[in-house]
Amino acid sequence: MIKVKKLVALFFSLVLVLSLTACSGKNTEEKTNNAGTDSPAATEGTDENAAGGNVLNVQFDVEVASLDPQIATDGTSFEVLSDVTEGLYTIDASGLPALAMAQDVQKSDDGLTYTFTLKDAKWSNGTPVTAKDFVFAWRRLVDPTVASEYSFIAEIANIKNAADIIGGKKGIEELGVTAKDDKTLEVQLDVPVPFFESLLAFPSFLPVNEDFFTNAGDSYGTSPDTILSNGAFKITSYEPAATTISLVKNPDYWDAGKVGLDGINYQVIKDSQTAMLSYQNGDLDVVTLSGEQVEQFQADTEFHNIMAGYLWYISPNQKVKGLENLNLRMALALAYDKSAIVSNILKDGSIVADFAVPTLLATGPDGKDFRETTGTYLPSDKTKAQDYWKKAQAELGIDKLTYTMIVEDTESAQNVAQFIQSEIQTTLPGITIKIETMPKKNRVERMQSGDFELGLTRWGPDYSDPMTYLDMWETGNPNNYGFWSNSDYDAIIESAKKGELALDPAKRWEALKNAEKIVMDNAVIFPVYQKGDAVMIKSGVEGIEFHSVGINRIYKDATKK
Amino acid sequence: MKKYILKRVAISIVTLLVILLVLFLMLEFMPGSPFNDEKLTAAQKAILNKKYGLDKPMLIRFFNYIKAMLSGDFGVSYTISKNTPITSLLQTRLPISLRLGGQAILIGTVIGLILGLIAAIKHNTIFDTITTVISVLGVSLPSYVFAMALIYGLGFRLKWFPILYDVKKPFDSSIMPTISLCMFTIATVARFTRTEMLEVLGSDYMLLAESKGINSFRLIFRHALRNALIPIITVLAPLVVGLMTGSLVIEKLFSIPGIGSLLVSAIQSNDYNVVVALTFIYSLMYIGIMLIVDILYGVIDPRIRLVKGAGNE
Repeated sequence: MIKVKKLVALFFSLVLVLSLTACSGKNTEEKTNNAGTDSPAATEGTDENAAGGNVLNVQFDVEVASLDPQIATDGTSFEVLSDVTEGLYTIDASGLPALAMAQDVQKSDDGLTYTFTLKDAKWSNGTPVTAKDFVFAWRRLVDPTVASEYSFIAEIANIKNAADIIGGKKGIEELGVTAKDDKTLEVQLDVPVPFFESLLAFPSFLPVNEDFFTNAGDSYGTSPDTILSNGAFKITSYEPAATTISLVKNPDYWDAGKVGLDGINYQVIKDSQTAMLSYQNGDLDVVTLSGEQVEQFQADTEFHNIMAGYLWYISPNQKVKGLENLNLRMALALAYDKSAIVSNILKDGSIVADFAVPTLLATGPDGKDFRETTGTYLPSDKTKAQDYWKKAQAELGIDKLTYTMIVEDTESAQNVAQFIQSEIQTTLPGITIKIETMPKKNRVERMQSGDFELGLTRWGPDYSDPMTYLDMWETGNPNNYGFWSNSDYDAIIESAKKGELALDPAKRWEALKNAEKIVMDNAVIFPVYQKGDAVMIKSGVEGIEFHSVGINRIYKDATKK
Repeated sequence: MKKYILKRVAISIVTLLVILLVLFLMLEFMPGSPFNDEKLTAAQKAILNKKYGLDKPMLIRFFNYIKAMLSGDFGVSYTISKNTPITSLLQTRLPISLRLGGQAILIGTVIGLILGLIAAIKHNTIFDTITTVISVLGVSLPSYVFAMALIYGLGFRLKWFPILYDVKKPFDSSIMPTISLCMFTIATVARFTRTEMLEVLGSDYMLLAESKGINSFRLIFRHALRNALIPIITVLAPLVVGLMTGSLVIEKLFSIPGIGSLLVSAIQSNDYNVVVALTFIYSLMYIGIMLIVDILYGVIDPRIRLVKGAGNE
């Protein structure tokens, strides 16, 4: 009998343990509820929101990695950060920089000094936004002890002494940013940067209030209480790696009258089927489709194609025997049908890439997109490819060649690689392509160390200027995977960055077009496609601005009926 | 018994340390680093490695980690939730996985036992057939098939339950994941209970007990079920750990902020501290449950305890 009692006791203690964990779950739930009570819209369920009008429900496919502007590096984090925080500039619907926290800007004639006058704006705790907030944040960006992964963006902006501070050679006080008074910020550059203003819309340059940051300590950016807002929205529910994030309209935002939404609810859903069911269910207003869903929904009126900035291309390693031959590279670059890749394999709105600088990336001094006034290069042409192959065979004195292409293990990358493999092998008899798949991190590591023959890779832009692509092919750049080197090209890039060309935007623009032509004429890379995203947006939702650089989606002007 | 438990606890601690050491070794050989972004320069990577102490040799990192862990510090996340202490990630995510897993185990075991008992007692009747069908379905159909069917049927069509997990409504939104998770447990427990009970019910001592006129309720629960429990507990133990540590598929489908999906993203992004902390917790739970199971054996069957006790002397 005693043993039975013991058994019963054990069973009950097990039940007790389980109910305790259940209780602790409930406690956290109550806590989140309390945190959100001062904001009625956020505490209601999604159904009530839909009924109550315009709270937008948006899907993310990955969690926010950080809401510290100088630590965040991914698009998801950038999107939420820019919902709640505003920098000196924002990006308008056409992709051009527009004054935001800055009321006015004075540029010196040499293009090296920018003096910004700030708007009378307030943080959500009532303290005014001052020039010191920018100085503090930008010093954090270059501070080696903060170790921001995006510190290089301050180097690209050429802010005075940025490179030396990042390298540990100078102290952070020496950064070329000064708060002349509470409302005046002076920025000094080492060389003129034509796209400096558009760069300032990048989330790494968002301001941080020093007092608030110091008070929050290590917990800065981890909860609604430790995140300060000066933007269109403020956070009412968030925790690290949260799957739901709630924002409400910020009534103290300087332009609050223009903000059409009452709030935004983000929901992380990694499974695309669940995401689509939630969308059809009415729980979501904006959802991203996976490749295989596109065919099913592309006839729908709520279906939209959004151009993304990513360029996918094949990098040939020119240190590998044969690939140093221009005719062989040309043969390979022309041998596969790119239009079949975008229309039969990807089907997500991706477009054929006959270029090295993507479309809708950068607007020139002429007010036109870079692609509008430049030619196209390396279009698929199997007959020409065969001619080049014959020439290459003669020059190299060979009949047959075998190369291995390294590819990351995502489904779409593998499908594209297999198609290219079969196209090259049928178009160019004698060439065998082998495919080796691996996780992306391995592929990047191998390409950076030169341990590959061909590699299918991609590059996403960091700022709205062709340079975000073109400086990759400079001699010695770690992302110049193919080890191509051309002194004329290097001269153009250096001059456009820091030399004579930097002083003359129109001339610089022409030189960059020429630089792209050099890269393409030498088949330094074999462009494949520019990525498109397929999204569903509920009818009645309007005004979401999509961008391929920096902040992917801006909701300031969005409305929902 | 006390001595036996103490010895087991000591062995468990050593086992945990060995697991951690092997883990550090394996992470060391894993390709890449937490800072894989192709946009990082070599100098920047060096700064980051230095900041997080990743520039030190593996053994030193191992001992530093153990030292910090003893004071409750599991380090910070490098990539998934940058600079967030792992403990705060666990605080929000672990209870959700434990709760779901606990519910699934509790419901799965109870229903499984009942089904198994009915099938054994009403052997070769329609009840028996139904139980067998349920068992076969539960074991052979993967849980995501159930989950998808539930999401589509009860969530999307009938709108009885929310499709997505909502931390504000943990009970409502845990119903469908719990059902999907417990199907396998129901099937396994029912199958084993039925088989074991049939064997026990057919044994000589049961015939004797029955002929002595012991009432049937007492006969089944006091004599038969107790003997049938040992193999059931053996299969149940790993199931408990498996369910409590969160299921990747179920978490992904219902968008549940648990620890199953966390581990997978951590491994993919080389978020070392998250991998180590979660593996440590998994091992701790596994070892802990195995310890409980061994003690339970002794409670249910005194012969096991005696043998082990004798071995200890």
